[in-house]
Amino acid sequence: MAETTIQLDILTPLGPKRHGVVVPGVEVPGLLGELGVLPEHVPFITPVVPGVVRFRDGAESVRIAVGAGFLEVTRDNRVVILVERALEVSEIDAGKAREDLKRVQAELSHDLGSIDAAEHRKLVTEQGWLEAQIRATQP
Amino acid sequence: MANLKEIRNRITSVKNTRKITSAMSRIAAARLVKAQQAAMGARPYGERLDQVVGSLVASLGSGEGEGDAGEAGAAHPLLLKRSGNGRVVIVHITADRGLAGGFNANLNRAVVGFIRKEREAGNDVVLLTVGKKGRGFFQHSGQKIVRHHDAPTLGDLVVKAKMVAAEIMAMFTGGKEGGDTELPQVDRVYFAYNYFKNVLTQQPKIEVLLPFESREIVNDERVLPVLEPGRDALLGHLLPIAVESRLQQAFFNSIAGEIAARRTAMDSASDNATQLIRELTLFYNRERQAAITKELMEIIGGAEALKG
Repeated sequence: MAETTIQLDILTPLGPKRHGVVVPGVEVPGLLGELGVLPEHVPFITPVVPGVVRFRDGAESVRIAVGAGFLEVTRDNRVVILVERALEVSEIDAGKAREDLKRVQAELSHDLGSIDAAEHRKLVTEQGWLEAQIRATQP
Repeated sequence: MANLKEIRNRITSVKNTRKITSAMSRIAAARLVKAQQAAMGARPYGERLDQVVGSLVASLGSGEGEGDAGEAGAAHPLLLKRSGNGRVVIVHITADRGLAGGFNANLNRAVVGFIRKEREAGNDVVLLTVGKKGRGFFQHSGQKIVRHHDAPTLGDLVVKAKMVAAEIMAMFTGGKEGGDTELPQVDRVYFAYNYFKNVLTQQPKIEVLLPFESREIVNDERVLPVLEPGRDALLGHLLPIAVESRLQQAFFNSIAGEIAARRTAMDSASDNATQLIRELTLFYNRERQAAITKELMEIIGGAEALKG
């Protein structure tokens, strides 16, 4: 019997964001581009990059901004998204995210060379994360 | 012989101390629930991530699966094992504040022993401290500290783990991108923290962080699922996250452990204060009675003398 739904878990270090929600499908920002997972998907693992996860929970269409992590589809029609952070649209302060993004971009463009590798890496991830938040708030 | 006023002052002072310790214990008890929940909530994420990355790394060793079946170390710079002597860095995770029983002291002692062993083996040891107590201790003993961060809180833990992870990965890979860092190149990275076993027990632990090793041998009989993109690219993406995650888990353990240790320590301090107050009060009453008796005897003695 073909399944028509999948079970979705979104786990973060600050606790599960969604646990065992039953959804008809989910869209995820993968390393190789946006991808959709539907029921009966072959088991696989792929990296998730900062972006927006979309799915329908009942009548509600949900958008969640996520950081880097990975997606795992298991044999029993479960999808686990493990990401370092996740925010729902209602939790995002878009104005603040825009301001922070400007600051980070300025730091990245000006201080090139004078900042060390660790600092640079931090700024680049921060930039991705802020962009993901802003995109999540835009319909 | 202590006079009555001295004893009275002592009792007041112990009572005041007990007020402080019992307040601290109550605060810790309230915070403990939150910290414990956070630590437990974080575990599924950390464990799953560790398992997946662990089985990927393990599958490299067995040489099966797609991709370049080269040396195990060559798949990713963070897996590279360097033989011989070199420099190691220990990420030393303590609390910012004391009054938590042996929480900081136990870990400091464990790390001192570890450093001695590494030195005897011919390695140079530097520290990256997280938490003021660890820094204070090792600054005193003249140990080289390359970076310091204050202890994480539940609020800034994720960001802090990211920062520390970026620093140690830069140190481990020799700062290839950028170059001019004050962070020296290292050949191995350890991290030391208090493992939160339960409220009464915190266990000092020192583990290898880099080169990355899978914790338990995952004997997965199942075939690995489809990996997209290839295994090496996947590892390249996931390894830094796994390193961060291990630090996060250590931070969570350390925070919960600190609060639990403080609760236990302050609880027993309050008990001791209560005991001390009881003894002092008894002593005070006895002394007071003795003084009264003595005065009475003097008065009676004086009266008798007058009669005579």
